[in-house]
Amino acid sequence: MADLQKENLLLEVLKNHFNDKIFDLKVQRHQRVHLRTTTEQIEAVLLYLKEKLGYKHLSHISCVDWIEENRFELVYILWHPEDKINVLVKVDVDRLNPVAPNIDYIWPQANTYEREMREMFGIQFPGLVGRKELILEDWDDLPPMRRDFDTLQYVMENFEFRSGREDAQNVRETIAKRTGEEIPEFAKKYSR
Amino acid sequence: MNIWNLLLSAIVTTLLGFIIGVTYMGIRRKIVALAQNRYGPPIYQNFLDILKFWSKESNIYHGVMHHLAPLWMIAMAITILLIVPTQYGSKFFENLSFNGDLILILYLMPFGQLGMALGVGQTGNPNSAIGVTRGLSLLVGSEIPFIMALIAVMIQYHTTSVTDLVRIQQEHHTWIMFSSPFAFLAALCVLPAMFHAGPYEVIIAPAELASGPMSEFGGKYLGTMMSAGSIFMFAKLTLFVDVFMGGSTNWLWLIVKTFTVYLFVIAVGIIMPRLRTEQAIRRLWGWPLVFAILAFIQVALF
Amino acid sequence: MNRAFNDRESQKILDIIKNFARKNSLFILAYGTGCGAIEIPPTITSRYDAERFGIRGAATPRQADVLLITGYLSVKTLKRVIRAYEQMQDPKYVMGFGSCTINGGMYWDSYNTIKQLDKYIPVDVYINGCMPRPEAVIAGFVKLQQLIQQGKALGWKHYKENLEWYRQNQQKVIKNWRMPDYNW
Ligand code: SF4
Repeated sequence: MADLQKENLLLEVLKNHFNDKIFDLKVQRHQRVHLRTTTEQIEAVLLYLKEKLGYKHLSHISCVDWIEENRFELVYILWHPEDKINVLVKVDVDRLNPVAPNIDYIWPQANTYEREMREMFGIQFPGLVGRKELILEDWDDLPPMRRDFDTLQYVMENFEFRSGREDAQNVRETIAKRTGEEIPEFAKKYSR
Repeated sequence: MNIWNLLLSAIVTTLLGFIIGVTYMGIRRKIVALAQNRYGPPIYQNFLDILKFWSKESNIYHGVMHHLAPLWMIAMAITILLIVPTQYGSKFFENLSFNGDLILILYLMPFGQLGMALGVGQTGNPNSAIGVTRGLSLLVGSEIPFIMALIAVMIQYHTTSVTDLVRIQQEHHTWIMFSSPFAFLAALCVLPAMFHAGPYEVIIAPAELASGPMSEFGGKYLGTMMSAGSIFMFAKLTLFVDVFMGGSTNWLWLIVKTFTVYLFVIAVGIIMPRLRTEQAIRRLWGWPLVFAILAFIQVALF
Repeated sequence: MNRAFNDRESQKILDIIKNFARKNSLFILAYGTGCGAIEIPPTITSRYDAERFGIRGAATPRQADVLLITGYLSVKTLKRVIRAYEQMQDPKYVMGFGSCTINGGMYWDSYNTIKQLDKYIPVDVYINGCMPRPEAVIAGFVKLQQLIQQGKALGWKHYKENLEWYRQNQQKVIKNWRMPDYNW
């Protein structure tokens, strides 16, 4: 097991610089550091990581829909090419009023990710330039990657199945029955 | 020679040219397939393709020029085939050859492509426009060395008639290929470009240009264009054989000679990767032009 | 003279010749929509050599005879497929690859893929499997050739006759319908 020297060093630096503006600071494992911040601080944190610490590369921005806790979680994944460390910066966004800062002036490629999130989750990024449609076309329903968007219902309304599929079983249920697993209440509703 | 005789010979020549040309295309596909370690289509595949295109039941129509372009091409191809003497010394297959026909042939050769350019302009397809642009650039590239080589030959033998050239070769039992090798080399180098084969297929480029000029032509138009291409190919081969390889006195000998030349074109096509337009033109204006100039020097000195 | 060309018998002979040519010269327009696009290169190159059957790639819809729908079809792609299909010249055939085109396959509950291809464009041959191997693809082509020879591959006629019905289905899933008329 490699020692976590450089990861811990990074933790120190971040802790000293941002004090209480970032929290949940921890080394998840070799080459991976995790931290959490707020939407007000996210630009400062990302700029500091990029300009001062050399995290030049934004690998991805992903979005997680925590519908039970009523929040979206944006995960910015940064990469340091020399130190070989991934930093996961997480931000919570209110689900009812999802607004997050636009960071495509820091990394131009963020533009694409943000457009995708705007389209798929309905998160607004003030100042984001680009056409509204990225992947979908003429979509007028709920943003489809939100978990309260019921795909099955949508499919039943818009498409028809060929007959002969009626005996199709719910995979999740079947497996759970076979292994005796209890499906949690929230999973029953939102995941298939 | 009465008119019926002329008509009959024209029809026979055209039919023979069509059959031989299309078969050559089929053989080419077969050879390419064999070179790629495949079994390949049957030799008569191109006949089926053309027949299928002719049996299509709808044809999209974009305008008059679009309608005329394939006709233009096939008219050009047949005219050239009729002017080029296919058989030396045969009264029946004399067709339209006359004194000075070589110049007319050189003049007519780009016509098919020009007609196509007009037709393509009307379809408004950007891919076709790019394809035609490339085609015309390539035409300039290949035509200059080829015409220079032919002019060198014309000056050397004091004639502008293909029949005369064939006669001279037949009477002296030699081929111009040996008596003026530089002109032959120049013409041989640009030959693949004149067939748009092998390294010079930027015009069609199915992957990037969606078959270039042809991309809006379907059904019967495409069938006509394919036939025109086959006839034109055979006409060009015959011209080459007539000028440089002594022509022929019967069809079998003509087929042997033209097929040898065509085999060269196919081989070059299989071996060489595709060139970009500017690379192709650089290559065409490189050694072929040097050879053509050497041919002039040879004419001037000897 | 005219009678000789128009009576039933000579028409039959003509049909046989036409169908022979059509069946042995299939220009395919491989619309690589889903996973299945990856099965086309082995099918038409050295390993399985579909050119033996006269099957050859066409570059544009205008020149093509067979439209291959290779896999799941999202609604966005369906619009392009319809355009490509309507630009093809009659007679034209459609082959649906994989369970996705038949009844949704593993994308059965996806909001963005269609479930039955033949509701939107007429399909002559379906090949099942997920994904059909090149052998199966070639078997599908042979089946299509048989249908053409028997004069049964008439999806294109069906489409023209029932254009209303197809348009209705198409417009149900394609919300913003801005398309030219048929065969533009
Ligand atoms: S049938 Fe299977 S292989 Fe084909 S597109 Fe659907 S999921 Fe992919």
